[in-house]
Amino acid sequence: MLSTLENTPLAIWVGESLWAYPSLLACHIVGLAIVVGLLTTRDLKLLGFFPGVDYQTFSDLIPVVVVAFGLNAVSGFLLFSSQASYLATSMPFLAKLICIAVGLVCALSHQMREKRSMTGGAETLASGRLTKAAACISLFAWIGAIIAGRLIAYIF
Amino acid sequence: MLSSLAYLADGSPINIWIQDTYWLWPVMEIIHFLGLALLFGGLLVVDLRMAGHLRGGTPASTHQLLPLVLLGFALNLITGILFFFGDPGRYSINIGFQLKIMLIGLAGLNALFYHWRVSPMLVTWDETTTPPRLAKCVAYVSLACWFGVLLTGRLIPYVGTG
Repeated sequence: MLSTLENTPLAIWVGESLWAYPSLLACHIVGLAIVVGLLTTRDLKLLGFFPGVDYQTFSDLIPVVVVAFGLNAVSGFLLFSSQASYLATSMPFLAKLICIAVGLVCALSHQMREKRSMTGGAETLASGRLTKAAACISLFAWIGAIIAGRLIAYIF
Repeated sequence: MLSSLAYLADGSPINIWIQDTYWLWPVMEIIHFLGLALLFGGLLVVDLRMAGHLRGGTPASTHQLLPLVLLGFALNLITGILFFFGDPGRYSINIGFQLKIMLIGLAGLNALFYHWRVSPMLVTWDETTTPPRLAKCVAYVSLACWFGVLLTGRLIPYVGTG
């Protein structure tokens, strides 16, 4: 299946075009900066940092995070497609996927709990122990994703 | 200027240390990536709030995030200088690196302008103030510069000499 993916015209184009791979890497780092930057900043807010910054400010940024995550899912998949069978056995790559999955579960469950808490909204949510634990896990997950992602180029 | 710096760095003890320590380069890259995430996380909130896109609080209140931005910048300045010292001949002549340094300089000038002209009037704004065109302009220039830094930096391995 992975070699089928590698041999699709799209994957071959990613691997062989002079500018496709660098352009996708450029997209991927823009998405990384937005997703990891904003989610970790919000995690720190939920953990009690930046008490003077209104939580609403962070909530308003969620659509930006969603778009950036989409950008990285697409650019990441295309980058993956050009060396799928190699990456499928790369430990750092697999570790990165796990980190992203954990970060994503934290973010999605947070959004769901936020929607459900009708009274008080974010302020009561922010003080909850579960919220803080999830913020802490999310923080480590995104840091882990960056570390693992960088190591793909170094550990075979 | 970059070439004379490269001449200075080449063969220096730091240069030799970086080249001889095999694990140092990936560790510096990881720190550089974590630093950029810190920088952008804070920067996006501060600039988008100043441009009037986010609700809640005053634009000045988001300045609590500036230590985060500065920490990210400091981490990346240190690792960036070490990258340059580790491989001066490669960076000094690279068009991506040269553009990146210019954009960082431009972002610095923009920040100075902000400090001089926009920051003093920011303290009088409340949560509903519509930001004047000048403040919006400074915020967008800041974002444009830093995303430019991000892109030119990432393309360093793929572009030629300038």
